[in-house]
Amino acid sequence: MNIAIKPPGTLTSLSLTEAADAVAKGETTAVALTEAALAAIAAGDERVNSFIWLEGEQALETAARLDKVPKAERGKLHGVPLAHKDMYYKAGKLSTCGSKIRAEFRPGYTATVIERLEAEGSFALGGLNMAEFAQNATGHNQHYGHCHNPWGLDYCPGGSSSGSGAAVAARFVYAALGSDTGGSIRLPASLCGVTGIKGTQTRVSRHGVMPLSFSADNVGPLARSARDCARIMAVIAGHDPKDATSSKEPVPDYEAALDGDLKGIKIGVPKNYFLDDVDPDVMAGFEAMLGVLEGRGATLVPVTIPHMDAVATYGGVVSRVEGATIHAEWMRRQAQDYAIHLNSRLYASLGIPAVAYVEALSRRGPILKSIAAALFSEVDVFVAPTIRCKSPTLLATDVDAGTPGALDAFNTLSLNTRPINYMGLPSVSAPCGLDSRGMPIGFQVQGRPFGEGKALKVVDAFQRDTSFHRERPSGFAV
Amino acid sequence: MSMDIKALVKEQAEAWSGVVPPNAVSEELAAGFASLMAGLSALRGQLAFEDEPSSFEAALQATKEPNP
Repeated sequence: MNIAIKPPGTLTSLSLTEAADAVAKGETTAVALTEAALAAIAAGDERVNSFIWLEGEQALETAARLDKVPKAERGKLHGVPLAHKDMYYKAGKLSTCGSKIRAEFRPGYTATVIERLEAEGSFALGGLNMAEFAQNATGHNQHYGHCHNPWGLDYCPGGSSSGSGAAVAARFVYAALGSDTGGSIRLPASLCGVTGIKGTQTRVSRHGVMPLSFSADNVGPLARSARDCARIMAVIAGHDPKDATSSKEPVPDYEAALDGDLKGIKIGVPKNYFLDDVDPDVMAGFEAMLGVLEGRGATLVPVTIPHMDAVATYGGVVSRVEGATIHAEWMRRQAQDYAIHLNSRLYASLGIPAVAYVEALSRRGPILKSIAAALFSEVDVFVAPTIRCKSPTLLATDVDAGTPGALDAFNTLSLNTRPINYMGLPSVSAPCGLDSRGMPIGFQVQGRPFGEGKALKVVDAFQRDTSFHRERPSGFAV
Repeated sequence: MSMDIKALVKEQAEAWSGVVPPNAVSEELAAGFASLMAGLSALRGQLAFEDEPSSFEAALQATKEPNP
């Protein structure tokens, strides 16, 4: 059955919400959306390498089954093909975690977020490329091949959710789950010109998700727009009895709050840390973005964010120690199965003493309260460039290849994202322009804890007056 | 700082975790901890909170968005 009314060639250019709504209205079908996605992947992924594995035939069978579901029984994402970073467990399916160590890993249970997405009618085409065990910010992967940025194949797509950013940017899928421990959703969102959100720490269940850092891991989507992200967050957020760390805070209707009206909203613009050494192209995009928000009625307020030295220092300690702890057994038995940079980082992290780790953890709550008292008494959200520099190339950041300066370039990428994970705040990254080489520039909006809705509202308002989120790299199927 | 950070990390990783340096790069990264140690050192005496110890989860609740 193929009753697509929309011409197939336009299907991949729809946003997630547009695609879901088109299926709901009978304007297209799950099969048509899937065929369009698979055609785009066939035409373009040889260059991008965003998929580690793909199950096209099974996806078409699932889509055909979904097209027969009565309208009254359909969910918010019915019939929309997705794909996720290859670290979300689904019983019996491959979940490589981007690694050689888990090359044949097939978990016996399914992640809660996958169950929730499927309950709303979405399905996955396959597993997306990612940094090995989610541990680099660039998109390099020695085991499955580097993921490439669709906007410029020599450039980093960002990591660790590299395939998620690249696949959404290339219009292979409508959205993809990523994960974010130090920026791993927001970095590929920024570099690939898509929109991504990490929620408040504890906002989304991590049951059935490969762990990297117990204290800083977050699950969230990368998609075309803030509205897309709002729809997915409404599905995946909320308490999960299988994840005792997940919050019982009620989940608001994020999409309903997207009204484009920023009157009365105070937006903090940092005077310290986040604008240090920002590239002129990035700064120009950031400042133009501020003008758009003002035009929507927001008031810009210069703010000083306290404790940034502590946040930047402690943030690195927590995730590194927890990551090394998780990997210690494999490091003892098969360190040679990791890429060089990763096993080197894991090894070195074992040298951080417990007192430094506990100090970093114990200060986290008091620091958050102190920052909130100083900052959120003055503003509703604060903004920053997601990344301070222009998009680096894969070569310039290839630590394993021994490129001179690669480690510094690697570390620079997450300077503005990693502190947000330590603070535990919700953060949305969205595109706000192209640099002088035609590569995307991104900004991020941070709200109070459980203020995902307000951060999404600000980005949605920006996207009503701009088209950066609709722009797409050339050379990929429309 | 006069200490040999490479040796310090090597001793700790092997003694406490049974992990030996997997390659030369790992020891170079360990040496890079000088900046982290300096960062931690610089924070000594700079932070004092009346509510220590307190949990991070409690702080999320205490500072949450009033109109989500």
